[in-house]
Amino acid sequence: MAYVATRGGARAIDQAERLYRAELGQIDATRVDAVRRALPMLIDRVMGEASLYEPDLAALALAQAGGDLYEAVLLLRAWRTTQPRLAIAEPVCQEQLFTHRRISAAFKDIPGGQILGPTLDYAHRLLATDVLQGRPYTPAPVTPAATAAPAYQPSLAAWQKAQGLVADPARTEVAPDAIPDLTREPLLFPAKRAHTLQSLARADTGGMLTLGYAAMRGYGNAHPTVNELRLAEAEVRVRHPRGTVFSAGRVKVSQAEVTSKGKSGQLSLGFCATLGWNEVKVISGATLDLNAAAAPKGSPVEEEFFLYHTEPVEASGFCIHFKLPHYVTFQSSLDALRGAKTAAAPQSEQVPT
Amino acid sequence: MSIAQLTKAWQPMSYGFLDASAKRELRRKMLKAIAVPGCQMPYASREVPMARGWGTGGLQVTLTLLKPSSVVKVIDQGADDSVNAASIRSFLSKVSGAAETWDTLDASLIQSRHRIPEERLHAGQILVLQVPNPEPLRPVEPNMSIARQMHADADYGRLWLILYEQIVRSGRIMEGAAYPSLVNGRHVMTPSPIPRWDVPKLHMAQHLTFLSAGREKRLYAVPPFTKVEPLVFSDVPFKVEDHGALTCHRSGVNGFYMNEIPQGDGGSAFELSDSHLGIKAIRQAEGEADQIGATWYQNGHLA
Repeated sequence: MAYVATRGGARAIDQAERLYRAELGQIDATRVDAVRRALPMLIDRVMGEASLYEPDLAALALAQAGGDLYEAVLLLRAWRTTQPRLAIAEPVCQEQLFTHRRISAAFKDIPGGQILGPTLDYAHRLLATDVLQGRPYTPAPVTPAATAAPAYQPSLAAWQKAQGLVADPARTEVAPDAIPDLTREPLLFPAKRAHTLQSLARADTGGMLTLGYAAMRGYGNAHPTVNELRLAEAEVRVRHPRGTVFSAGRVKVSQAEVTSKGKSGQLSLGFCATLGWNEVKVISGATLDLNAAAAPKGSPVEEEFFLYHTEPVEASGFCIHFKLPHYVTFQSSLDALRGAKTAAAPQSEQVPT
Repeated sequence: MSIAQLTKAWQPMSYGFLDASAKRELRRKMLKAIAVPGCQMPYASREVPMARGWGTGGLQVTLTLLKPSSVVKVIDQGADDSVNAASIRSFLSKVSGAAETWDTLDASLIQSRHRIPEERLHAGQILVLQVPNPEPLRPVEPNMSIARQMHADADYGRLWLILYEQIVRSGRIMEGAAYPSLVNGRHVMTPSPIPRWDVPKLHMAQHLTFLSAGREKRLYAVPPFTKVEPLVFSDVPFKVEDHGALTCHRSGVNGFYMNEIPQGDGGSAFELSDSHLGIKAIRQAEGEADQIGATWYQNGHLA
């Protein structure tokens, strides 16, 4: 055969991938384990965005993607979506959360107390350059409190509801199978409440901060006060086929409730929760949720706007897709452009001098 | 009868990658899409091992349709050897055992980005077009919930207004690819971003076309023998790209959609966008027994 078509495609993509992976080197269990131990906050962030709670898999995804967060989230999501649903866990109520940290900015003190828990909030952000000089940084040991903070805390909103400050809509029981599942149904607007919260839970942290921050700066209609921020562990309670409910383990969760004076003469609440500990995300998400109710169509705090645009897999994928060749569509536009030029040419000659 | 007889052995990956519940949802939505031609059907759109925007919508439809006896062709910009087409094709055959082909005539299933092959598709073939933005109303209404209502009302006046304004401003309709087209006299669709050259190929075609946007979670269909009419004014006819008189510098074939390759001397060379048609033409000229099927365009004009 005299003519050989360029079959470079398959070989080129194969070699390009090898080039990338060569840079990352061998990935083994030791590396995955080191990632998981060294970067718990990053693991939490990735697990939240992937909506898959499995620290080992999250660490593997991070190692495999060389730390590219969007790649790691895509790896986990693509794996997650093929897994069977074995059971739907029992609902988790706030007062059942094993709470590590719980603060409120709305009151000086709250029933159950302000529990600082683990935080860098008041740390001086000094880079420990000594470490690079061969002097390891060893954290000072924690001195236990004289009386341990209670592991279970009431919710502040419960007190506010009792005071008549917050609306207390009647709770409707929903069968576990009837809870709308965003990963099995398309997101349509106006969104089901479950879809909104699920979508916020798996949203991109950075994207949520951007839009949440815009709302905080004044592009929203409600200024948030942190009613309650919680870092906790939730018991995953599932029903055995025989009927007994048992705990299948605990997952780290974070949740934020922000509030502002609503139009109805009561406080309105915005809520966001996610898997893993990620305070920036839940405060931003709760702020967006708070603002969504009164948002005009097309504004950045409108539900449709922020839920669509903070989807990490969709947003990052579409962004990088612009690297794909677009020469067919470009050629089509070029044809229209040249056609318009040709049509316009004789007119310009007719301009009287 | 035992459980083992009723169930299949555990496998690390389902046939065709997607699990049964994902495929069931897709099949239902694909049937609905056929039942209401051109109407966008929302679907869950699972994550697949490819980034969104890289053909994940087309991929999900193709994965649902694939069977071991399928013969699959994948093109990007008309070319089978384009890197992303090669990647998708190898994934498809890996997870399904389907045969791969470059030849439009041999394919039972064609997944494509931005082109419809020049050789006529026949009854029984299925074309799956990858769609980045399924919403023809996006330029006039970015809000999807409002746009959905507009489709329900067949409220398409603002699309004609855009075309009218283009004529006033530029003397002609300036739409490039993805020309808004009325399907079955009811729903306006974005025919993925295929060039205008390819839009008439969908009109009263023998084959079935699915258009699927994974990121936007919408799929729609043009069933066989369905009207697809580009939006035009009665006194301003629809114009395809002015490629009818161009000649491919590699194969010598003329009268098809071309890629323009800028040249060092300031001019341009042209080559067939449908790369395998070019390969077949060259082989034929060299006396090999390659068969070129009937084409939609003949001598640069729609046959």
